[in-house]
Amino acid sequence: MRSAEMTAEPAETRQLSLSFLRPSRSAVIGTLAVLAFLVLWQIAPGIGWVNGRFTSRPTEVFLAAIDIFGNDNFLYHARISLTEFVAGFALAIVVSIPLGVLLGTSKIARYLIDPPLMALYIAPTLVLLPIMVIWLGIDMAPKIAVVFLGAVFPIVLNTMAGMSEADPKFLRMARSFGATRFDIFTRVLVPGSLPALLTGLRLAVGRAVLGVIVGELFVSQAGIGYQLNLYGSAMRIDRLLVYALIVSAFGYTLTVIVRSVENKIRDWRSK
Amino acid sequence: MAQIEIRDLGIDYRKPKSNEVFSAVDSVDLSVEKGEFVTIVGSSGCGKSTLLMAVAGLVDLTRGSIEIDGKRVDGPGPDRAVVFQEASLLPWRSVRGNVKFGLEMQRWSGGDLNERAMQMIRLVGLGRFSDYHPHQLSGGMRQRVNIARALAVDPEVLLMDEPFGALDAQTREIMGTELLRIWERSKKTALFVTHDIDEAIFLADKIVVMGRNPGHIKEVITVDLPRPRNEAILDSDAFHELRKRLRAHLAEDMSSMQLVQEVA
Ligand SMILES: Nc1ncnc2c1ncn2[C@@H]1O[C@H](COP(=O)(O)OP(=O)(O)OP(=O)(O)O)[C@@H](O)[C@H]1O
Ligand SMILES: [Mg+2]
Repeated sequence: MRSAEMTAEPAETRQLSLSFLRPSRSAVIGTLAVLAFLVLWQIAPGIGWVNGRFTSRPTEVFLAAIDIFGNDNFLYHARISLTEFVAGFALAIVVSIPLGVLLGTSKIARYLIDPPLMALYIAPTLVLLPIMVIWLGIDMAPKIAVVFLGAVFPIVLNTMAGMSEADPKFLRMARSFGATRFDIFTRVLVPGSLPALLTGLRLAVGRAVLGVIVGELFVSQAGIGYQLNLYGSAMRIDRLLVYALIVSAFGYTLTVIVRSVENKIRDWRSK
Repeated sequence: MAQIEIRDLGIDYRKPKSNEVFSAVDSVDLSVEKGEFVTIVGSSGCGKSTLLMAVAGLVDLTRGSIEIDGKRVDGPGPDRAVVFQEASLLPWRSVRGNVKFGLEMQRWSGGDLNERAMQMIRLVGLGRFSDYHPHQLSGGMRQRVNIARALAVDPEVLLMDEPFGALDAQTREIMGTELLRIWERSKKTALFVTHDIDEAIFLADKIVVMGRNPGHIKEVITVDLPRPRNEAILDSDAFHELRKRLRAHLAEDMSSMQLVQEVA
């Protein structure tokens, strides 16, 4: 059985896709629509369609952006918010992955903890914000807590689902080769539940960003939410829009990164 | 003594949500010589997979015993490897990764894992596809990987549960011939479940015909067709004779199945 015989095989075909260099029709139409919108937005207050005080103008927003990045202490506030985000999210990961694994592999643990977990996942964790403030003060701590609470449940639940819904065919196959329980855990369950875990992370990103901003809006002394409050009272639409864009861009970028990893992994799964 | 000795084997399944038991296999006696190719045929649900999984050590025996080389089977072991009915390749591993899986689980110590895996992949004719992932392969290619994974651990006994069941007739024939080519070189003992009559005859030294309710052995037919075999043999008189015999057996089973349905 040692000798190897090569049968005729079709040559490997792997095409390099260059399509991203050619703008697609939808990209062209999209860009044109955005440009048209910007032009309309710019001239609408001038011709009296809308009140410029409430709508601002693209040029004003652009200037406000330069001002914010130049001398609005932007980095200071961004660092505060980012710290709250990272601390809360990291804490959520540290707690939720082991918990999700435990719940996914132990039926008893699952029966015990699943219903309250589900309830907490569905309930908006932001309702706990006032309590967090009473307990933890008005510094970063209550925001970290809210980020943690927002992020922890989607990760736990998705990790758990990924683990417990492992394909029994794979488990039987692994056992047939004499796999130990530990082998099955590390070589079948963990890689098999990775896509679900990433889905959990992606859902958690949105909730965590929301937690930081709402937490700071509610009560704070610094951070992006604090700035939003400040410029809201001053009716500075231009600056509010710049901050809105920054926050969306941050959440969007993280989501896109996680999703691209997720898609790469899902590619391996049979369709 | 034969390599595989099955004595008075019985396997009951507990019906879900009740204490009733359902007998899937009963009173099965079978011996298989070393290097023999045995096919198992029978209508759907007659316990073929159950019997095979029992030999694999993946289901608990209710009655009787199975011995391999005089050792009682009480779980999976490195002396046996299974090729499953469904594709059971891990989607996140490449072809090579999948073939290495069994070697990793058995803590293979016979040299470099990659080399061993590549050897097996070339043996089943997939040399150029070792870096592909399962979803990039056709059904036939996937089953070749399954076979390579089982052969890689160098088992004494190869257990195959309708490995070509999901393939079209043409591919099936090609795979059958390929399998014989590989088997004739390795001379491993093989148990091969199928419900394709031609496949059962073409591959076998010995055909085990199973009946249902509960699953039992109706007859063991010895196949004396010369080896090595190729497709030409399908048209021989001896082949026709065996085919007729098997058809009669299975038709009988189908009518008894209808009877059960009518009574129920
Ligand atoms: N895990 C199980 N629990 C309960 N009953 C089972 C289980 N597995 C199989 N059975 C039952 O045992 C009987 C035999 O099943 P088995 O899978 O061995 O049949 P088979 O001959 O392989 O059929 P097929 O040709 O369709 O694959 C069937 O009636 C089936 O419903
Ligand atoms: Mg079966």
